[in-house]
Amino acid sequence: MMTSLQLLGFGSGGWGALLLLGALITLAVTASALAIGAVLGALVAAMKLSGRPLRAAVGHVYTTVFRGVPELLIIYLIYFGGSSAVTALGHALGFEGFLGLPSFLAGALAVGIISGAYQAEVYRGAYLAIPPGELEAALAIGMSRRLRLRRIVLPQVIRFAIPGLGNVWQLSLKDSALVSVTGLAELMRTSQVAAGSTRQYFLFYIVGGCLYLILTSLSDRVFKGAERQADRSQSAAMIGRG
Amino acid sequence: MSGPSRLSVRNIRKSFGTHEVLKGISLDAKDGDVISLLGASGSGKSTFLRCINLLEIATEGEIFVDGEEIRMVKKGGRNQPASQKQVDHIRSELGMVFQSFNLWSHMTILQNVIEGPVHVLKRPRAECIAEAEALLEKVGIVDKRHAYPAHLSGGQQQRAAIARALAMKPKAMLFDEPTSALDPELVGEVLRVMRALAEEGMTMLVVTHEMSFARNVSNRVVFMREGVVDSSGTPEEMFGGGGSPAFRQFIGHLGPA
Amino acid sequence: MDIAFLSQTMLTLIKAVPTTLILFALSVFFGGLLALLIVWMRVSGNRLLAGFARGYIFVFRGSPLLIQMFLVFYGLGQFGVIRYSFLWPFLREPMVCAVLSLALCTAGYSAEIFRAGLRAVPTREIEAARAIGMSGFLLVRRILAPIAFRHALPAYSTEIVLMMKSTALASLVTVWEVTGVAQRLISQTYRTMEVFLCAALIYLALNFIILQALSLLEYALSKHRRAPPTSPSPIPR
Repeated sequence: MMTSLQLLGFGSGGWGALLLLGALITLAVTASALAIGAVLGALVAAMKLSGRPLRAAVGHVYTTVFRGVPELLIIYLIYFGGSSAVTALGHALGFEGFLGLPSFLAGALAVGIISGAYQAEVYRGAYLAIPPGELEAALAIGMSRRLRLRRIVLPQVIRFAIPGLGNVWQLSLKDSALVSVTGLAELMRTSQVAAGSTRQYFLFYIVGGCLYLILTSLSDRVFKGAERQADRSQSAAMIGRG
Repeated sequence: MSGPSRLSVRNIRKSFGTHEVLKGISLDAKDGDVISLLGASGSGKSTFLRCINLLEIATEGEIFVDGEEIRMVKKGGRNQPASQKQVDHIRSELGMVFQSFNLWSHMTILQNVIEGPVHVLKRPRAECIAEAEALLEKVGIVDKRHAYPAHLSGGQQQRAAIARALAMKPKAMLFDEPTSALDPELVGEVLRVMRALAEEGMTMLVVTHEMSFARNVSNRVVFMREGVVDSSGTPEEMFGGGGSPAFRQFIGHLGPA
Repeated sequence: MDIAFLSQTMLTLIKAVPTTLILFALSVFFGGLLALLIVWMRVSGNRLLAGFARGYIFVFRGSPLLIQMFLVFYGLGQFGVIRYSFLWPFLREPMVCAVLSLALCTAGYSAEIFRAGLRAVPTREIEAARAIGMSGFLLVRRILAPIAFRHALPAYSTEIVLMMKSTALASLVTVWEVTGVAQRLISQTYRTMEVFLCAALIYLALNFIILQALSLLEYALSKHRRAPPTSPSPIPR
């Protein structure tokens, strides 16, 4: 019988290294999802802000569906649906049998699609928070559409979006645990396998949970720091006024 | 007062839905003219100003800046600028000062001032910085150049906004109620800057409620009422009892200037 | 489009809706009660209680619900104390475990939401209540709670929708609610898109009903924020 310390250690029969690897994969899934979601979210936010009824409606459906349907269901959709698509493609190219979508890809894509729905709302809110007068001043000085976007809109959207993005990151970090259903050996799945094969359920779920707590509180710090950095102009003003 | 025409506007009309705000307004500003646009709120004077640099698109009418006509096309029954490029160009030649300053809050004062010259006019950065510092010196806030807009009082922000507009070396300046959002004790510092500009010969179109400015600084006063020019003339004519009855009533309401 | 398959799928899934609703209702109810307790501890002024509440909120908001649920479902049974206690017949039920972990988790989130609502209660209104002699539970019941709840309602509505989505996780501890049944259908038929569409429609409809109900509640609770009723005047507007 191994002691708890040995079970969690890095020696033979210890799960320490695998758990840490799992935590890294969790971070990688979440980071990829954030990037995928940033692209989708920016696109959907632009559609919702476009002022064109059809595009706005498509954007609205996207955010309603992917924020309103259980994450697990969306992961099934991407994993099984994606695998069917890949299998069909494989058959067309002459491969036999069932081909799976790589679980990392499926997981990052699914969490990314969900993240995109939340990010779209963050970007939309951030855009609407730009004082309209500042956009008008950019027009008045003769800035082209591109230049306005690059010099006035994007820097401000990014600044206003940071707190919201921090929340989305935390959400995605926790959503990524559901990717374990595809068999990807991220932190949740590794804890599950360790718990099952050692029969030490309580120990491994507690340790897995603690690792998640470390991930969420560390990333919380990172985002708070970024927020302070980006808010320099604002907080400097408070000191200046005082 | 008889220089070439800097700004010429013919028969501008503007409707919002079925509501016609501007009902055919024409105006000529020659080099060095300082024109005060007066009128009650809702008389359309701000809309008129915004039509000139195309922040609003006039439903009808012609606009010439320094002799260049802004080309318009009818698109789906509505007036549209024919070329966005021309619009951007025209705007870069007209300095605009807003009631609410509209400084870019994510940039320092200096960055605000050099933004246009560096990125729109694509001029060398070092040159722009030197010029910007001279302009900030002129409006009296060079010591605030590395501060963010939220750092500054309203009067300082408006002076920075004037410097930002001047940095584009505009052919004419448009002021949209530049002192209306300011606390009374800060109005003077902005008016002083505007007066200095007028004395240097800058062509200016000023929507204002400051009767002293209209009377003492401008060389022409235009009184707008219900979307048309009710009366216009030199300050001496207008304030010397020569304005229309409506104008006399308007300044009477505001009290003696 | 295969209408027969879609309607068959829809029927199968709708049969699982009651399970989803029971999970949802029970966990919102118990989670809400627990949240009140946690908030009370958090603002009690007692450092020990406040510290516990702070830790509770940190743990349940900072880790994934799934790991909490597995901890309850698989972890608790590992201990003889629990296995041989009178609680075991309940705790071995997947449904009980699911509700327990859903409630524990939402309590952490809801406690923070309620606390924000409490902080929004204007001090002067509390003072006014004290001035007429209110204190303790009476003050909470008549002044604090109504104002705080009204403030917290929009954020709490969001949390409630999140709870509806979270009930899907119960399928992973073998409670056959809508998502679990959908997953089984997908692995039997491989018609992912159709099954997803049906299940998504069900969840969106449930969310819609809940949000409508909550906005009705919000409307009913904000009489004081609406424009005063105009005297019956014939002026057309």
